[in-house]
Amino acid sequence: MIDALVAGLRANSCSVWGPMSDEVARGKVVERVSAHLLVACNDDVPIPGIVDALRERGVDVLTPGDPAWTERLADAEVGITGSRLAVAEPSTIALAAAPGAPRATSLVPPVHICVVSVDALVPTLADAMMGIAAGEMPSALTWIGGPSRTGDLEMITTLGVHGPRAVEIVLLG
Amino acid sequence: MSDTVPRHTGGHAITTPGDDFHERTASAVADPILQRALHNLDRRLRTANESAAAHPEWKDRAAAIRRETLLDLDGWLDRLEHSLVARGVHVHRASTPADARRTIVELAQARGARTVVKSKSMATEEIDLGNALEDAGLTSVETDLGEYIVQLAGERPSHMITPAIHKTLPQIRDVLAREAGTDLAVDREALTAWARDRLRGEFLRADIGITGVNFAAADTGTLVLVTNEGNGRFCTTLPRVHVAVMPVEKVIPRLADVGILLPLLTTHATGQALSNYVTMISGPRRAGETDGPDELHVVFLDNRRRTLLGTRYEEMLACIRCGACLNVCPVYRNVSGHAYDSVYSGPMGKVLTPLLSGGTEGADLPYGSTLCHACSDACPVKIPLGDMILALRADVPDPQSGARRRRRIFWAVWARAWSTPRGYKLTTALARMSHGRVPGLRAWTSTRELPRPARESFRDRWAKEHV
Repeated sequence: MIDALVAGLRANSCSVWGPMSDEVARGKVVERVSAHLLVACNDDVPIPGIVDALRERGVDVLTPGDPAWTERLADAEVGITGSRLAVAEPSTIALAAAPGAPRATSLVPPVHICVVSVDALVPTLADAMMGIAAGEMPSALTWIGGPSRTGDLEMITTLGVHGPRAVEIVLLG
Repeated sequence: MSDTVPRHTGGHAITTPGDDFHERTASAVADPILQRALHNLDRRLRTANESAAAHPEWKDRAAAIRRETLLDLDGWLDRLEHSLVARGVHVHRASTPADARRTIVELAQARGARTVVKSKSMATEEIDLGNALEDAGLTSVETDLGEYIVQLAGERPSHMITPAIHKTLPQIRDVLAREAGTDLAVDREALTAWARDRLRGEFLRADIGITGVNFAAADTGTLVLVTNEGNGRFCTTLPRVHVAVMPVEKVIPRLADVGILLPLLTTHATGQALSNYVTMISGPRRAGETDGPDELHVVFLDNRRRTLLGTRYEEMLACIRCGACLNVCPVYRNVSGHAYDSVYSGPMGKVLTPLLSGGTEGADLPYGSTLCHACSDACPVKIPLGDMILALRADVPDPQSGARRRRRIFWAVWARAWSTPRGYKLTTALARMSHGRVPGLRAWTSTRELPRPARESFRDRWAKEHV
């Protein structure tokens, strides 16, 4: 199941790291974004202490509680989110809108890093939908399978139209 | 914004010249640039065919779900409305396109809105919403890249999934460069980057986001939107108000049904196992959330759809707008969407256009078909499109009755003549003399060759050798 998810995401132009432990993942994410000036980070990223670790490395971290979130998000170079549900086939990851988990973090910055545990993985979309429909729906549940893309120019794929040009998935486990 | 470029020409946009479908198909086939652009469809067809073939059992399940919905469409709509209202969503029922336009324009005016961003939606094309908003003094911006190009060019989409399929890259550059007021390179990345910057500003400025709906689940009150570019996500994330226009047949009984319907839609539309973004919206922004619209409105659009229930065209309401029938159609593949001079093109457009207009629009479309039934075979929800096209020839008043009456008389005379040995002998003798030119059949024989008769008939040879 994990192999199918990784293969599907990579085939759809995502980078995938892991599965790896929380500590290794923290180090990887800090390493990955340390060169960026402003990074937006949702409160639901399942790596303990990630915001502090980033700030220790001198990264300016914007969190949803910041009163200037909306204005400053337009300047963020990377958006980091968590996810609590992933589907192996077709390979896609669900982001639930919630306080502390805005919709725009995975949409406005040109790079989106999503952290998800392999425990969140289910085999098919039909399995996922059965589970979701039984519980309470968030105001917005966004499924992301890869970077923003278009086929509108002579039907050849071009990445990064409106949303992120790069999607990087960090698997915990 | 240049004043010389029409923002929207809606129902009047014809880019393929010709008075009727026959003339327009001839113009389209004779257009070398269009023909080059249409070569790109072959690639789409191959990938879509391969991925759609992977799960043949999905078609049966999807067809069953869609027909279950149609058995009690009003009941499911009531349940959907109930679920939506319980989530704080405003539901508006519009029986005509004019009702829908008025509802949305009034809603925008009451909120003092100035700019509207739109995500690609056939339903909003159907009601010509862009023009209505512009006429009311609002700025309406299409944000799907292909639809944006088509809007700037003053045209209408020529394919429901790939609206600018009729344009080559240099033509697209020309359209965008005119809007930019500077030269742009004929380069996919550069043109995409320019459009990204320009439209990002529109998203930030917009007061209202307008989208269609791919599916609406009655049990949970959830709207499902499928996009790849992310423009649909912007329209439902940044503006304060989100308005979704939903043709009534988009309702599905259960959210769990999208487990089958979604992959089926995307494999048939683009060949993707799933589109890169699927957004499931269940109400406006909730307390404590940082973004999302404060207000969510859903407009149920009927526009004669419910009159199809119980008729032989009822199954047309099962359509999920994937475009698979366009991609396989030998007519569409040679002429593309503008030749149809209607919002919906291809085989599904030939059926839906006369039905939604009560026969006043697209009445000649059912005649422009080879009746090969490739559309029926391609349809992921098993709509018998070929049968419906044939049935419509009988049910919709014939716009070209003169030519067709002549043809009918010809076949009637032929049937009578070949019912007697004497008539048969006479007509075959005439056919041998005519060399394939038959008076009254010129329209028919201009694109088809009659078989050349044998120099000596079988009857003559038999008579010579055996009598």
